[in-house]
Amino acid sequence: MTRIPVINRAAFLTRPEHRGLRVIALVSLLVAWEALARTGRVPVLFLPSPLGVLAEGWEMLRSGELLGHLASSLQRLVLGFALGAAAGVVVGVTVGFFAAAEAVGTPVLAATFPVPKIALLPLLILWLGLGEPSKVAVIALGVFFPMAINTFTGVRQADPLLVRAAVAFGARRWSVIRKVILPSALPMIFAGLRLGAGTALLLLVAAEMIAVESGIGFLILHAGNLMQTTKLMVGIVVLSILGVLSHWSLGRLERLAIPWRVST
Amino acid sequence: MRVVVERVSKVYGDRAGHAVRALDGIDLAVDTEEFVAVLGPSGCGKSTLLNLIAGLLTPTEGAIWLDGELPPGRAATAMVFQEFALFPWRTVQANVEFGLEEMGLTRDARARRARRYLDMTGLAGFETKYPHELSGGMRQRVGIARALAVEPPVLLMDEPFSALDAQTRQLMQEELLGIWERTRQTIVYVTHNIHEAVYMADRVVVLSRRPGRVLAEVKVELPRPRAEAMLGEPAFVHAVERIWSLIRDQAVQALRE
Amino acid sequence: MRRLVRVLVVLSVLACAGHAHAQDRPRVGVLKLTASAPIFVGVEKGFFKEFGVEPELVYFQAAAPISTAVAAGQIDVGATGLTAATYNIVLGGEKMWIVADKGREWPDHRLTAIVVQKDLYEAGVRRVTDLKGKRIGITQLGSTFHYQIGNILEKEGMSLRDVSIVPLQAMAAALEALRGRQIDAVILPQPFPGRAEADGFGRIIAWGGDLFPWQIATVFYSRKFAADRVRAVNFMKGYVKSSRHYYDAVLSGTQGAAYDEVVAVTARYTAAPEAVIKLGLPYQDRSGRLWVEDIARQMTWWQRHGFIKATIPLKDVVDTSFVEAAVKAIGD
Repeated sequence: MTRIPVINRAAFLTRPEHRGLRVIALVSLLVAWEALARTGRVPVLFLPSPLGVLAEGWEMLRSGELLGHLASSLQRLVLGFALGAAAGVVVGVTVGFFAAAEAVGTPVLAATFPVPKIALLPLLILWLGLGEPSKVAVIALGVFFPMAINTFTGVRQADPLLVRAAVAFGARRWSVIRKVILPSALPMIFAGLRLGAGTALLLLVAAEMIAVESGIGFLILHAGNLMQTTKLMVGIVVLSILGVLSHWSLGRLERLAIPWRVST
Repeated sequence: MRVVVERVSKVYGDRAGHAVRALDGIDLAVDTEEFVAVLGPSGCGKSTLLNLIAGLLTPTEGAIWLDGELPPGRAATAMVFQEFALFPWRTVQANVEFGLEEMGLTRDARARRARRYLDMTGLAGFETKYPHELSGGMRQRVGIARALAVEPPVLLMDEPFSALDAQTRQLMQEELLGIWERTRQTIVYVTHNIHEAVYMADRVVVLSRRPGRVLAEVKVELPRPRAEAMLGEPAFVHAVERIWSLIRDQAVQALRE
Repeated sequence: MRRLVRVLVVLSVLACAGHAHAQDRPRVGVLKLTASAPIFVGVEKGFFKEFGVEPELVYFQAAAPISTAVAAGQIDVGATGLTAATYNIVLGGEKMWIVADKGREWPDHRLTAIVVQKDLYEAGVRRVTDLKGKRIGITQLGSTFHYQIGNILEKEGMSLRDVSIVPLQAMAAALEALRGRQIDAVILPQPFPGRAEADGFGRIIAWGGDLFPWQIATVFYSRKFAADRVRAVNFMKGYVKSSRHYYDAVLSGTQGAAYDEVVAVTARYTAAPEAVIKLGLPYQDRSGRLWVEDIARQMTWWQRHGFIKATIPLKDVVDTSFVEAAVKAIGD
């Protein structure tokens, strides 16, 4: 009798994490970039070297300039984000839970959602003036839509069995919303928050193009106007860091707020 | 508290808009502290009947009464669900306290009541766990504790152990009977499992295929407390055979559907 | 597959040929404004062609990108305003040369004006000093308008800190902001001030050239173009001739047939009405000679206000030899 070994034919399907590779790749990229800048084959004006960007960034940090820009931008961002998210959740829950609201709300949402919020900026400036309100408003609008739509979806997806169980134990309309619908919708709401965060950063830069005196978007545009490309890169790096940080902190927040896995 | 179901029919529209008669002229009375099993093939409307008694559906014809003293602010019925229906975002204790919140108890009163029933259902030490961390059997214990916590005169159980494996089911049945010996509610227990119905109940109400009608009521002549040894006794076997003969044809036809 | 390869080869040969052909025509970046009139006239009347050079005009929407394009070698010659960006480009290591005059803010030549919102004017805001605490709209920080308003304020004993500068990105946007009362004043070139007064929402309180003359626009050469000495001087000969023609037709006082021709040509190139053209014809030196000291002054001002990091030695950014060579060759 011949012996046939049984080998794992699914071995190629396993996905190793490659943690070391990630770091090495990033570092190599930066090193190659720095080397390229030093050879002089690419003009430094057009592609500032990583070390140059770091040095400029450090200088801007020391002089307080960077923190000033950050503070202005963060103010607009946080305010706009909070307003848009709150309004989005309220509308999403209302449209999701009340049939009449859904009948009225979903066509309106569908019609206004595709409008690029950047295009609304001139209109908002006309209505709200050149100051902070128009900038906060455009960010809020950009956050509102993913929040409303995601909340609505989360509400509609609430497990009917759980709603029935809540009613079976005496919950009335507002209790059901508070105790079942909203917690059910939290995963979708957080997904909406993440989408909104990306949009908010985009709109922040657009909003800071007009009539502001500080901000990260302003820094990027202003440095661009002046052809101070190293400062421009500092602005871009800070913006990227903001993006990564917001993504990460939302992830942590989600893990805190949703300690359960979604399973009945 | 007695449960009286008087000539109840339930008709609803299915997805295509046709009228479906789930239940037809059901007459049923459950006495105070009686344990009644409702059994029948798939689609016989037994869950619908339970939801009607719970007040989660309205009968198309007929009416349902609950006879007995009910203190104000107290719920008459509480339900235990086949799929457990625990709130995944609440801890075990918070789940058990759910019904108590709606009753308006203070935080301390809720905690005390919850802890009593958690102990009774063998959940001591699991108060801060989340449902996803528990096995099926433990989750249903939480479901039972949640229902018991509101101290309802009538307990409605919708195939509570169907989602569990056979060994766990056996143990949970014995546990439930043990708890019931102490709490002594009126219980309406829906199941499709004949052995389970006979083992648990005082009386088994057998329903037909859709539209669900009462085919027969079989009294279980076994003493309480029930014991595992009774599974082999003639009274037990006789009751099971009787019920099976009633619904066998029904089951075959249901299989063909 | 083989046919595809053949097509690709033919296309690339054509592309190369097209590119090679383009090398004979220097690419000149300009704005489609009245201020580019001398160049339009020069091209139209063949003054460049006379010296064997045929400019290919490349139009831009703003001044700063022209400097960038020159630095990147995408165009050979730029003819537009001097902004902080120009100096930052050179400081950033990209050489280019400022070679000739293409426009100055000059007394009695009405190019750029400070326009005040009509209601404020009627409430008493009539002089530059009355602008204290007001919101003044410009296009971009670091622009020629920024330089101008800053220096005008300083001349009147104020500073940029006494007002609020509001960048609005585009000239039209700044005008609309004034109309909508979202800002109190603007500083803009013709025809915008004229339009504000005609539509009734603004009043001109000062002309930039009267208060603060300066070398606002110049011709620049890319490093590569400047290195080709013969070609660069030939281009300059054409430019000097165009400049003189423009000066004699427009700036010498008499407005005869030559003037009408300049206006007509510019109107055609810019697609603007002649009435508008007539409002914004700038002053420049007859032979296109640079006001060199002013360039040094500009750098000092930008540096003082933190828009450039250091000043550049004039010899590293200005080269008057082309104009001088051209003037010598064609005489007076």
